[in-house]
Amino acid sequence: MANVNLVKERYIWRLPVRIYHWINAILVSILFLTGLYFASPLFSAPQGGEATWYHGMAWLRYIHLSSAYLFFANFIFRMYWALFGGDKYARFGGFKPWKFKWWGKPFKEQMASYLFLTSKEPHYMGHNPVAAIMYFIFVLCGSIIMIITGFALYSENNPGGFLAVLFGWVIPLVGSSYNLHSIHHLTAWLFPVFFITHIYAVVRHDIVDRTSVTSSMITGYKVELEE
Amino acid sequence: MKKIETFAGVFKARGVERRDFLKFCSLISVSLGLAPALVPRIVHAMEHKPRIPVLWLHGLECTCCTESFIRSSHPIAADMILNMISLDYDDTLNAAAGHQFEEIRKQIMEEYKGKYILAVEGNAPLKDNGVYCMVGGQSFTSMLKETAENAMAVISWGSCASFGCVQNAKPNPTGAVPIHKIIKNKPIVNVPGCPPIAEVMTGVITHLLTFGKLPELDRLNRPKAFYGTRIHDKCYRRPFFDAGMFVENFDDEGTRKGWCLYKMGCKGPTTYNSCSTIMWNEGTSFPIKSGHPCIGCSEPGFWDNGPFYTRLAEVPFVASDSGADKVGMYAVGAAAAGMAVHAVGTAIKKAKNDSDSNPTQEG
Repeated sequence: MANVNLVKERYIWRLPVRIYHWINAILVSILFLTGLYFASPLFSAPQGGEATWYHGMAWLRYIHLSSAYLFFANFIFRMYWALFGGDKYARFGGFKPWKFKWWGKPFKEQMASYLFLTSKEPHYMGHNPVAAIMYFIFVLCGSIIMIITGFALYSENNPGGFLAVLFGWVIPLVGSSYNLHSIHHLTAWLFPVFFITHIYAVVRHDIVDRTSVTSSMITGYKVELEE
Repeated sequence: MKKIETFAGVFKARGVERRDFLKFCSLISVSLGLAPALVPRIVHAMEHKPRIPVLWLHGLECTCCTESFIRSSHPIAADMILNMISLDYDDTLNAAAGHQFEEIRKQIMEEYKGKYILAVEGNAPLKDNGVYCMVGGQSFTSMLKETAENAMAVISWGSCASFGCVQNAKPNPTGAVPIHKIIKNKPIVNVPGCPPIAEVMTGVITHLLTFGKLPELDRLNRPKAFYGTRIHDKCYRRPFFDAGMFVENFDDEGTRKGWCLYKMGCKGPTTYNSCSTIMWNEGTSFPIKSGHPCIGCSEPGFWDNGPFYTRLAEVPFVASDSGADKVGMYAVGAAAAGMAVHAVGTAIKKAKNDSDSNPTQEG
């Protein structure tokens, strides 16, 4: 609000978190765009010439698959940091949505604020409870679904191979290879939906609370407020 | 004493040369992916093992599996297989009919308890006590259960018996279910395809006869030898896919030059079958080679996966006419609209708060 005092800068997002964030942002963009393209390729290779001269689709596929491995590694790294990093603002810590208590006052207050039901704007140095549940659904669950279905799709290339042994069970689970493709493709759309919501929320918070949340993902510092 | 009929006997009686016989054995071993050292074993099995009685039931089906089976490519393969197994009961191929014919089935079930093979073409409708498929006054469902009781193994021919095919496509008016949903306590091999490739069918039977057990199966109970890889991964047009050279419509330059049919809705990338390797009609061709996209006929639920000529047209478990991109765009649109509305709300609230709390502040 207007009558808050900017008290001091506090170091919130440590380097591993920021590195994860930007690598993830870049890789998800690459994965989404390449995936969308080779699901329905817009362009054709030039008429004439040998098929062996062009590698458009093969390259896109290569970029998608190698980015996917990096995405997976980055995700594992973030999970490690969340579980064992001992980072107050980046660990799972108090995030227990399976417990009834978690959905109590802080969540309700934040939700009421977002829905304009109250003029109060709760302040959090880390994630607020609504943001946490968004990250849980879109980033954590979304990434896990994409990783599992993605590896299952990749394992189809090499039946009986390492990945097929690890992820081959997914196909009978979802019914068919077609369903698997559909799930992977449909879940991919979670990320642009998240992207829009995320960017909006960040910019809005920066304007409304002036905690410099936007630049905090680069500098790591957020501004502490006092009413 | 009852004379045990082996293949060799039938074989000699028919005047087929041994040379042709050995050629067939090699062909089968190759298509099953067996080592050359196992060829003598196939030969031995065919010459010495008693012919296995096969009861071939027809449920809700179109007989395309039988039509495919009797056209096995090797000149004498179909003949051999049909003689090698003792096809004692098959509504379509047998000369007998009526009650006498039903007697044969019962007789085989008694005489060869636990030794005969049950081959099922088509599936069974469960709705209204199975009245939608009656054979000789008995519902096919009960006949299937009765015949499977003492069978050594069950072969589910075709997509109907394996996965349900068109009969159990939405809305599935007769409540048709694949065989493995009814028979639970027998080894079952699924041989999907609409129809399956003839050589695949003879290959499965030969394996059963030679080794006395089902071939190695994958997670959907299909023989790995034939359903191990996708059409796409062994397609001869794959280089055009990798190059991004696509047929855009059925009368363009790409069609004439035989480019990849991916954009024409080819289901090759999601279909497991041997069409691109064994091919059809004596190895003559297969759909993609003839310029038509694969429709994915050997995949579970292929009728519910949207139009044949659009790629990933529908998400079967969401709704009809629901391409993933369509659903995704709507979701993104809804999110953007929601954020825009929220932004307006925020602006109003901020303006209100500012004027409420600081009425005297400088403008």
